[in-house]
Amino acid sequence: MTEPAPVVLVIDDEVQIRRFLRAGLELDGFVVQEAETGADAMRAVTLTPPDLVILDLGLPDMDGADVLERLRAWSNVPLIVLSVRSNEAEKVRLLESGADDYVVKPFGMAELLARAHAAMRRQVRATSGEPVVRAGPLSIDLAARFVTINGERVILTPKEYRLLQILAQHAGNVVTHQFLLKEIWGSPHIHDTHYLRIFVRKLRQKIEADPTQPRILVTELGIGYRLALPEPARPAVA
Amino acid sequence: LFLIVALVASHVANSMKRQTEIARKREKEMGDLYAFSRRLAAAPAAAEIYRAIEDHLTTHAERKVVLFGAGSADADEVQPPGDAAVPGQVRAAIADVQRGHSVEANVTDDTGNVWHVRRVSQKTPDFGVIAIDLGKVPADEAADVHQRVNDMLSDAADTLERLDVAHALDQAKMRSETELLREALIGSVSHELRTPLASILGAATVLSQSPAVANDERLNSLASVVRDEAERLNNDIQNLLDATRISREQIKPRMEWIEPSDIVNSALERRRRRLLGHTVALDVDSNLPFIYVDPVLIEQAFAQVVDNAAKYSPLGSTITVAAKRNGHGLVLSVRDTGVGLTGEESAQLGDRFFRGARHASTTSGSGLGLWIAKAFVSANGGRIEADSAGVNLGTMIAIKLPVAPNTPQQETDPDD
Repeated sequence: MTEPAPVVLVIDDEVQIRRFLRAGLELDGFVVQEAETGADAMRAVTLTPPDLVILDLGLPDMDGADVLERLRAWSNVPLIVLSVRSNEAEKVRLLESGADDYVVKPFGMAELLARAHAAMRRQVRATSGEPVVRAGPLSIDLAARFVTINGERVILTPKEYRLLQILAQHAGNVVTHQFLLKEIWGSPHIHDTHYLRIFVRKLRQKIEADPTQPRILVTELGIGYRLALPEPARPAVA
Repeated sequence: LFLIVALVASHVANSMKRQTEIARKREKEMGDLYAFSRRLAAAPAAAEIYRAIEDHLTTHAERKVVLFGAGSADADEVQPPGDAAVPGQVRAAIADVQRGHSVEANVTDDTGNVWHVRRVSQKTPDFGVIAIDLGKVPADEAADVHQRVNDMLSDAADTLERLDVAHALDQAKMRSETELLREALIGSVSHELRTPLASILGAATVLSQSPAVANDERLNSLASVVRDEAERLNNDIQNLLDATRISREQIKPRMEWIEPSDIVNSALERRRRRLLGHTVALDVDSNLPFIYVDPVLIEQAFAQVVDNAAKYSPLGSTITVAAKRNGHGLVLSVRDTGVGLTGEESAQLGDRFFRGARHASTTSGSGLGLWIAKAFVSANGGRIEADSAGVNLGTMIAIKLPVAPNTPQQETDPDD
């Protein structure tokens, strides 16, 4: 049985960017659709619901953030934002309004694909109910609330587990400090980043081979945390 | 009798003529003064007022007038005319008044000419100093001239005061317009340069993944070159943008508690490709205190230091990256075994646009990187120090950051 090729909608007004994205995404097995403007994009999404959206924030007709908001009003499609803004607050805002992840221009194709596949896997996990998330030697069984590292059980406190659980649900994608703080400690603690620092340090001591050089639970400075997935060995097929 | 009458008449006539002359002179003076105040009122800038004062005194009083701006922004505009003709004694008096030792002075020069030296405004030295050559005047006339000079200057000083405010407002307006323009320019330049760069870099990475290129070592290395150079260019653009941000004092750190090793790892990850030719030895203490800084700024500074180490040390050599506690502070350091620093280079390191003369022609760079790093670190209350045993003996650059006494640690555990 062969799965139908996933469809990706690339929303970008720069023809050269669309060109390399098309090449890279097709090389990776996607069917590529393009939209130049926010209006085009909204039309395209309604006509053929894509499996993935790549959204450039600098569109001529409307702010990318508005496109994101309108899209999220009715669609849960995995969405990666292309940002030129190295402004962390802006990225956090986009993630909070529903982007699955972002890459900052200029970026390499591999980085974009890794983020995109992670976002699509989250979608698949949500629909298929696959309970186990693996990140290198770490395995998290979300149904049994059971965590192992190299096959050995790891004992976690409830809050440590909760932290790991949220990251696992978004495995491969960044999760903002605010989201984690709100989910674990509640809204009043949304700015208490040091809670997270303390917990992540403890968690790393339990799951990382060298906690000072984490490979699984990685920090996105000024943004949040990411459960890193090992880069899949992807045979390059035309 | 006739003779007497004639004499008297002639005397009266003479007297009347004199009176008329005086009246005319007064009238002319009044006219001049009126023109002068009108000119003052219309003066758009301080420089214009200085020129008006000079013109007025020179033509009306027929005196040699020298004006010196002092400390004000207009100091350069108000060039003392005929500077060389000012006698030494007068210069000394001017300097005295400029330094605020006195408000006014009368000096007699070598040729017996009397100079009146005083501040333009009695209230403030900001408006400069004026020196008027009164010539060889008798004492009684001198007092009269003094009075007129004083009247005129108090008028001018008032206008200057009024104008200084206007001038400041003007400058602020101009500045904000320039700022807007610069902001727009930077925004558009960064967009205009970065968009093609994104295409170049992205396309290079797609090429290197395509089977045709991936399987050909030479082509693959070319694709790598394109990528690396695009990345370098992107860093240069970032540096330019950061430098402008610093000059505009727009660095506003977003402080938060951060794990120090996260900064180190993040910087190393960002410079991963740059470090491929070197061995990186990591020496990071576990259980370092959290620090309260803007992690993004410190990471950028640290990445710059790492970048320099890779740039100025031979391929294949080891770069030692460390994070240690040091007394009440934290030290993030990068040690290489490269070209090192001369004493002179150490002293200038981190100056804006400074590049060591030894490498200026062989290694590319703008001399902005460390300057930016310094600014970012000091915005976070830290400092950067450089140490080298000498030429070709390697360099150690340390970023020293304060550790707050109330660092949150395990004991403030927010667990259930």
